Amino acid sequence: MKLKSVLGVATIIVFVIFGSYSFFETNIEYTDVSGAMRLNKKVQLKGVWNKEKESHFDAAATQFTFFLVDDAGKECKVVLDGAAPNNFEIATSIVAKGRFIEEEGYFHATEVLTKCPSKYEAEAEEVNKTV
Amino acid sequence: MLGSILIKISFLACLLSVIYYYRAHLSNQLSTASIGRGLYHVSIVSIILAAALHLVNILTNDFRYSYVWSYSSVELPTPLLISSFYAGQEGSFLLWTLFTALIAVFLIRYTRKMAYENEVMFAFGLIQLSLLLMLLVKSPFAFIWETWPGEVEIGAIPANGRGLNPLLQNYWMVIHPQVLFSGFSAMGVPYAFAVAAMLKRDYTNWLRPATPWLVYGALVLGVGIMMGGFWAYETLGWGGYWGWDPVENSSLVPWLFSVATIHTMLSQRKSGAYVRTNIALSMLCFIFVLYSTFLTRSGVLGDTSVHSFVDPGMWAYWLLIFILTSFTLFGFGLLFRRRREIPAPAVRHSTFSREFALFLGSAALASAAIFISIGTSAPIITGILEGKVTAVDISFYSSTTLPLGIAIGLLSGIGRLLWWTSSRKEELLKSLLIPAVLALVGTVALLFFGLDDVQVALFVFGAVFSLFANLEVGRRIVKGNPKFAGGAITHVGLAIMFLGFVSSSVYDDKETVSLYKGKQADVLGYQLTYKGYSPIDHEKFAFHVEVQYGGKTDTVSPIMYQSQFTQGMMRNPDIMNLVTRDFYVAPLSLEEGAGAASPRTFMLKKGETATVDSITLKFVDFDFPDTEKAAMLEGRKVRIGAAIQVDRDGSRSETVTPARIFESGEVTEQPARYADMYEIQMVSMMPNREDRSQSTVEIRVVRLQDSSVAAEADQEILVVEASIKPYINLVWNGVIIIIVGFIVTIVRRTQEAKLSSKKTV
Repeated sequence: MKLKSVLGVATIIVFVIFGSYSFFETNIEYTDVSGAMRLNKKVQLKGVWNKEKESHFDAAATQFTFFLVDDAGKECKVVLDGAAPNNFEIATSIVAKGRFIEEEGYFHATEVLTKCPSKYEAEAEEVNKTV
Repeated sequence: MLGSILIKISFLACLLSVIYYYRAHLSNQLSTASIGRGLYHVSIVSIILAAALHLVNILTNDFRYSYVWSYSSVELPTPLLISSFYAGQEGSFLLWTLFTALIAVFLIRYTRKMAYENEVMFAFGLIQLSLLLMLLVKSPFAFIWETWPGEVEIGAIPANGRGLNPLLQNYWMVIHPQVLFSGFSAMGVPYAFAVAAMLKRDYTNWLRPATPWLVYGALVLGVGIMMGGFWAYETLGWGGYWGWDPVENSSLVPWLFSVATIHTMLSQRKSGAYVRTNIALSMLCFIFVLYSTFLTRSGVLGDTSVHSFVDPGMWAYWLLIFILTSFTLFGFGLLFRRRREIPAPAVRHSTFSREFALFLGSAALASAAIFISIGTSAPIITGILEGKVTAVDISFYSSTTLPLGIAIGLLSGIGRLLWWTSSRKEELLKSLLIPAVLALVGTVALLFFGLDDVQVALFVFGAVFSLFANLEVGRRIVKGNPKFAGGAITHVGLAIMFLGFVSSSVYDDKETVSLYKGKQADVLGYQLTYKGYSPIDHEKFAFHVEVQYGGKTDTVSPIMYQSQFTQGMMRNPDIMNLVTRDFYVAPLSLEEGAGAASPRTFMLKKGETATVDSITLKFVDFDFPDTEKAAMLEGRKVRIGAAIQVDRDGSRSETVTPARIFESGEVTEQPARYADMYEIQMVSMMPNREDRSQSTVEIRVVRLQDSSVAAEADQEILVVEASIKPYINLVWNGVIIIIVGFIVTIVRRTQEAKLSSKKTV
């Protein structure tokens, strides 16, 4: 019984250490453009799509390139593996997951999430349209 | 009006019923209990009527109701109108409440026979009461002028509703939520039994009547989870059946707890130990159902999930927190008060006993549940600890659950071979030998097929070991009494499912590829040709891709369209189901040939780049050597160039120098060519003498018409993500076997519970 309790406690401690290590290791920080440039690791870059600048899909490399502007107004070129994500055109903000590649001078994203405008404000108006 | 009244009646009746049942518990008077029972039935009938009314409102397109307006429209066919019932928050809470009430119908009769009615129905009534409270706050019966007071005219009748999200217009949506919510409702039963056990101070007999319900809950919730996985895989095009998304995780966590509880309950029934553990785990099953509801419904996860959660408003947010903390404090408060009187018999079984293996197995399951729950709650945890919201990468889930998966595989094999109380070591070793050798042979064989990760290899070993151990045990049981084979069948299914996880998720292959119309491309060993698209619905398009493999030809037609409702691109994959693998084609986009976009003009500062098709152009510097500077001063012919470094993926970079020549006031262009595919011209230049790094050049890139790039550029390009999922059928077959095992177990445990209640009465 004694041995079992010791083993039990030891297992729990190992689990807690292992769990918290994994937790902080895999934690992906939300950051802005300067943060992404400074941190040399996988981050979530938050901002809006700069529609002024050209964005395009490169069929040969299957990469989508666009420019993102963060809250501080800083701009960054983003190259996403794959095509433009769902609702990209109407998104009010976007989050690009990936890391900044210093040598290339762009943010290499593996995934881009889009946040769509809340329909709430427009709802009452929308209801009245259908009356 | 009527709907809101019905919910109020149901709430009041339920409240009174809970009070009467509690008084019946204290006084043990049959008349008090029968009042409680009567009131409970009033509550059940009212909520059934409310649900029926809600359905009628939807089927008759009564758009005066905000809910019907928000989630339905006249265009929807009837089966999809049914999924409007629970497409929104209010409707899904109503569905949950309805299932809870329907379970109560059977639970009242069942617990009455078992002499557990007063206490169980008191606790279960509290659950129903909280769901009804939720419906009082977020009612599906609110009129549009109540939802938007002052903005919408009272009595207005819209001609049409907003419609249903196309993601939900799917036959899976008609069945999946019902199964999931009946699982959620069933998880309330073990909580109610655990509370009842503490109220009755009967810490052993409650297990027998509670077990069938617990197994039933685990079965239904498990089926619901896998249906969601299959839906995500087959229709939503998430690329896999499991994405560790908060919504998926939040239903997995209570399921893992329920399975852990099944194991410790079994252990207690044999050895008498783990009394408190069972009470705590039974309660956690339901508490984690509430916690997941809070996570996914309160908007607290914010930006960190792919799912866009509708903010339910402050009222619902605080109510969810209130319900969650109340049930946790009530249950665990009671457990704390009873802690001294709950018997804690000394653990008599040895380390080599089935009881201990069961305990370790459920510890592993509970640990997995805790890890997954922590990962899912990361936005809340980091919000508190670091003051900023972050999410964990999905690698967190695989790295924490994989070691536990290894343990679960091994334990589910060893545990089945062990005897109750204690096993003789020689006997154990003898029975372990064959499955262990087979597992070793199997794992080593797979090493030659590319198994290359130590942990994954151990996981495979555990699964194969468990498979053979359980096949052997199952064979022995079926010879004796097939009714007892539930456990063996379930674990065989689990082992097969585990092997399917490895083959389809660890050794899958994926490639994003651009398919030029009519041109064959080799993708992962399959020859794909995009043939063109055709409309299949008023706004949908199917994209036909011919697939050639091993002398056979087939066509997959993934679907892609711009949805009116979401204003976004919707995509559905198509799958070629082969015996040994799935070939999965998910559409990404259709690119019209970029032919029209040539020529293109760019302004580049020093060091900046521009991209055309697959080449990138970087402005290095002006090409203006001293000899030319001297020529300029002397007024002779001057050539000023711009060094442009051109990179094309896969080939080495090349520097080209388009230039402009100035001679007696005349300017002539001297374009440069890149690989006979592009002509690059220098349109203008803006040198900056103060800061040379700010010097800018304007270039124009023309695609040469006779180049192969131009021919390709004029065509449609379908971009798809193709993947191969080897032996994914193992996952689905494993799930089906698990379901069979669960059903066998439920039948056995129900008969057992009925028999024992007859004995006691």
